[in-house]
Amino acid sequence: MWRYALRRLAFLPLIILAVSIITFVLLRVLPDQDPAVLMAGQGASPEQIDAIHEQLGLDDPIVVQYITWAKGVARGDMGETYFGRRDIADEIVRRFPASAELMVLSLIISVIIGVSFGVLSAVMRNSLIDYLMRFFAVLGQSVPDFFLLILLIIIPSIIWNYAAPIGGYVAPWEDPWRNARIYVPPSMILGIGGAAGIMRLQRTTMLEVLNSDYVRTARAKGLASWVVIMGHAFRNTLAPLVTVVGTSFTAIFAGSVIAESVMSIDGLGVFFLNSALQRDFPVVQFLVLYTATVVIVVNLIVDLSYAVIDPRVRYR
Amino acid sequence: MASRTEAIAAALPPGDSWSLPPETPRSVALGRIARGNPVGVLALILVVAFCVLGVAQVISHDFFDTTLAPYDPQDIHAEIQLQGPSWEHPFGTNQRGNDMFSRVLAGARISFLIGLMAVTLGFIPGALLGIISGYSQRWLDYVIQRSAEAWSAFPVIFLYLALITAFGRGLQTIAIVIIISAVFGGSRVLRAVALVAKQNDYVEASRSVGASETRILFRHIVPNVMPIIIVGASSVFAISVLTESALSFLGIGVDPGTPSWGIDLFEGLPNARFFPHLVVFPGIAISLVVLGFNLLGDTLRDVLDPRLRGRLG
Repeated sequence: MWRYALRRLAFLPLIILAVSIITFVLLRVLPDQDPAVLMAGQGASPEQIDAIHEQLGLDDPIVVQYITWAKGVARGDMGETYFGRRDIADEIVRRFPASAELMVLSLIISVIIGVSFGVLSAVMRNSLIDYLMRFFAVLGQSVPDFFLLILLIIIPSIIWNYAAPIGGYVAPWEDPWRNARIYVPPSMILGIGGAAGIMRLQRTTMLEVLNSDYVRTARAKGLASWVVIMGHAFRNTLAPLVTVVGTSFTAIFAGSVIAESVMSIDGLGVFFLNSALQRDFPVVQFLVLYTATVVIVVNLIVDLSYAVIDPRVRYR
Repeated sequence: MASRTEAIAAALPPGDSWSLPPETPRSVALGRIARGNPVGVLALILVVAFCVLGVAQVISHDFFDTTLAPYDPQDIHAEIQLQGPSWEHPFGTNQRGNDMFSRVLAGARISFLIGLMAVTLGFIPGALLGIISGYSQRWLDYVIQRSAEAWSAFPVIFLYLALITAFGRGLQTIAIVIIISAVFGGSRVLRAVALVAKQNDYVEASRSVGASETRILFRHIVPNVMPIIIVGASSVFAISVLTESALSFLGIGVDPGTPSWGIDLFEGLPNARFFPHLVVFPGIAISLVVLGFNLLGDTLRDVLDPRLRGRLG
């Protein structure tokens, strides 16, 4: 299995190289989307714009530009932002913890809610609880998370005049209460959105497994029903569960941009959003690579976990 | 087409007097399904109402250059800005004095157009591509599947951010991203289904009586996977409406001048604490439309499932 993992990881640089070239060329292919025009501001003379081109190296042939950039990235130098000339590596490092905490919390919440609701709903099929949970799942898939996030801001503010603290990142071990007030509410919203998909799949696979012969055998042996449900049935739903958790991660990753933007959290998602609007090429180039790496690594973890869950799966 | 009873009667020797029990008329069968699925009926009403509104807005905007609403959704009326709901303005007015009810009506146009494009230009061609690639399983299949995996692994919003950096924002860029996602979404789902469908005995049977591969594909496989295409189209519509409103809400979607529910939420957010009506009505509009398509898809899945078909008579 480890050899398989290493081989998959060996492809990572190749994919990253391809992604970086595609991004680099795409950004520069349309001349009317010129960052220099934005930077120079309204009413700038063509000379000013040319000067900015010169300064940013945008006049060089695209191959030269790419090689200069790639050399920098390989050395760990991501370059500077076009706007404000700040070091990109510093900006990323500063914003990473906020985004990471938001995503990890959301994922944990969505797995806990999704799995427990899914199992309960399957075990208590066609009961009132089952209907309520399924209704909750459809609502979770239909009501947009940004609408829920807006309600999350305005309802406490109208009723209790409460607003979540804003400002820089505070680690949970420094000030757990402040950290929780910032990150738990939006994570709940993103988590509920992700939980809906997990719950629906968990219910379906659980129902299938509960109807299988080995579950009937286990019941016939006289095992306690929770032993059958958790030990025999639930274990066998893990493989599809891991797949859908992987998909939920992608959804939460996307949702984090929205959550950061609504809740005024200065994370990587908002950084990506603002840089895209300002056509800050080096930032967008790096963040595309970052996203691609995260997605590839998560997919690899999902694939590898099949082998851990199900001994029949072997990777060579 | 002759009914079942007539067909059997024609095959019998004349003079024989016996009859089949009368067939259940289609309307009765549909009524039975409707009574069994009250939620589905509600969803159908939501979807039909939205589609009628969407078509009406597209026709009035794109052919008559007006909006089918009590007030113009764009005209600025500073004297009535930020009013709460009233008889005159049931959804209140926004910071420019636009009637929110009219804006919600007008916003249906862009959601409807996006959903329609995603289904007709994206999902259906993608579904056909998926069926063909699943059925033939040659290099084409490999290329489509690997591209679909690569595209769908990447969160749409990041792809979109990269694309607006390159091409600028606007309806075109949104449409491209949503349509490509729908093509790959359709091809992935339908390929898996086609792989199963081609194992069926009726495929072997038609091949053995000399049917061409194209005929098998279009006369046997496609009709048999039709329920899945319909259900998929419903869910793609829902996802596309959600995506457009999310992008517009982030301020990176359609032009700010276009009435769109996402833009209403974006513009209403700063004043939402004191004027919740600015965000509540557009938010409910998006939720109801998406809920309608999701519930309709779920109901159709139950109703069209071939294993349950015996009940329809």
